[in-house]
Amino acid sequence: METPNQILTELQEIAPSLTREGISRNPYSITSGYFESFSENLISRIRMEAAALGIDPLHVSYGTDTEGDIYNNITDASDEIAGISPLLASIKNKNPYQVSPGFFESWKTNLPLTENSNLTPTEIPLSASKSVSSHKTNSSGRLVSMFSNKIIRYAVAACLIAILGTTVYHYATITPAVDPIKGLTAISDQDMANYLDAADIHWTPGINSETAVVDFSDIDIHELLSNISDTELEQYFPALPEQKGTVN
Amino acid sequence: MAEQTTDTELLALFREPATKEKAFTEIVKKYQERLYWHIRRMLVDHEDSNDTMQNVFIRVWNALSNFREDAQLYTWLYRIATNECLSFLEQKKKKASVSLSEVESGLTNKIQADKDFDPAKLEWKLQLAIQQLPEKQRIVFMLRYYDEMPYEEMSRVLETSEGALKASYHHAAKKIEDFILNH
Repeated sequence: METPNQILTELQEIAPSLTREGISRNPYSITSGYFESFSENLISRIRMEAAALGIDPLHVSYGTDTEGDIYNNITDASDEIAGISPLLASIKNKNPYQVSPGFFESWKTNLPLTENSNLTPTEIPLSASKSVSSHKTNSSGRLVSMFSNKIIRYAVAACLIAILGTTVYHYATITPAVDPIKGLTAISDQDMANYLDAADIHWTPGINSETAVVDFSDIDIHELLSNISDTELEQYFPALPEQKGTVN
Repeated sequence: MAEQTTDTELLALFREPATKEKAFTEIVKKYQERLYWHIRRMLVDHEDSNDTMQNVFIRVWNALSNFREDAQLYTWLYRIATNECLSFLEQKKKKASVSLSEVESGLTNKIQADKDFDPAKLEWKLQLAIQQLPEKQRIVFMLRYYDEMPYEEMSRVLETSEGALKASYHHAAKKIEDFILNH
C-alpha cells in the first residue's frame, strides 16, 4: 500500500508546481451541519420510499437488486420457487402420471439376476459384464420387413411402366387442334375461287366478306318477297318514297 | 456502536434486521465526507452532489446485502459513486441535447459562479485545470491527488490496468501544470 508521502514524491517528479503549499486545499464549502444531518435525512428518505411501496425497509430489499436478493436468500428449493413464483409454489410438485399397482416390484423381478440374487440392483453380474460385447447384437429384436425387397421392386417397375404407357398413348392418339385461320392462309385464292364456284357461292377475290356483293336475279327476289305485302314493304322503306314500286 | 467498528463488523450488523439501520447509519457516517467531496469535485454543484450522494447510498442500501467482501467496502462505494456521477453527467447531456464538452464547459462556468471563487487562488485554478481534462484522466487525477487512492484500488474502481492508470495520471498532472503555469 502506497503512503501519502510516496504519492507526493510521485507528483513532485511529474509536476512539481502541483505540490505547492495550499494548492490542494479544498476550495468548495458546504453549509454547517450538512454531514451531521445527512444520514438522518437519508434514512428518512429510505423509510418514506419503503412506506410508499408498502414494504418493510428492514426486511425486504427493493430496487434493482430484487432478483439478486431472491437468490441470496435461498435456503432450499421450496423457498426458491416461492420467491420466484408463489403460484408454482402453491401447485406443488406432484407427479400427474400413474402406473399400475405393483409395476415396479414386477419390473425388478424381471431383471436377469437369478444366478446372482444377492446382488444389489446397481451391480452387474461378472458373467454378464464379460459377455456384453458378444450379446450386443442379440440385445435388440429381429426386424421383420412387411414386404420383401423383390415385391417392392416389381411394384415400382409396374407403376413406372403404367405411367409411361399412358403418356405415350395420349401423345400418339390425340391430334393437336387445327387453327382454321392458319389452314385458310395455306390455300391459294384460285383454289378458294374454284371451290366457291363449285359450291355456287359468288365471291370476288380481293373483296372481304363485309363488302361482298351477292347477285340475286329478279326471279329470286320475286320468290323471296312473294309472301310480303306492299304495305309492309312501304313501312320497311319509309325513307325511299320515290323508289316506291310494285314488286308483287 | 464503537468508533472502531470495522467494515466487516458493520456488514455483519447490516445483515441482521435488528441492527440493519444502525449499521447502515454508521457506514454512511464513516464514508459520507470522502464520497461527498469526490462527487462534488466531479459535479461542482452542491445540489447535484447532494442528490447524487443520496442516490449512491440508496443503491448501497439496496445492494449491500449482496456485497461479496472480496473488495474493500470503500472501493466498492467509490465505484458506485463514480458511476453515479458519470450517469448524472450523461443524463444531463441527454436532457439538454448538448455534447459532453458543452457539459464540461458548463462545469467550468459553475466553478466560476461559486460564491467563493477567486481566480487568483491556486486551488481555484486547479479546479479549472481539472475540468479541462478528458473524463477518464479527470477521475484518475482526482482519485489519486485528493483521495490518495493506490493504483491497485483504483484499478478495481475504474476497471483499468494499473499501467494505464499511471499513464493517465502522468498525462493529467502534466496538463494541469501547463494550464496553471499559463493562466
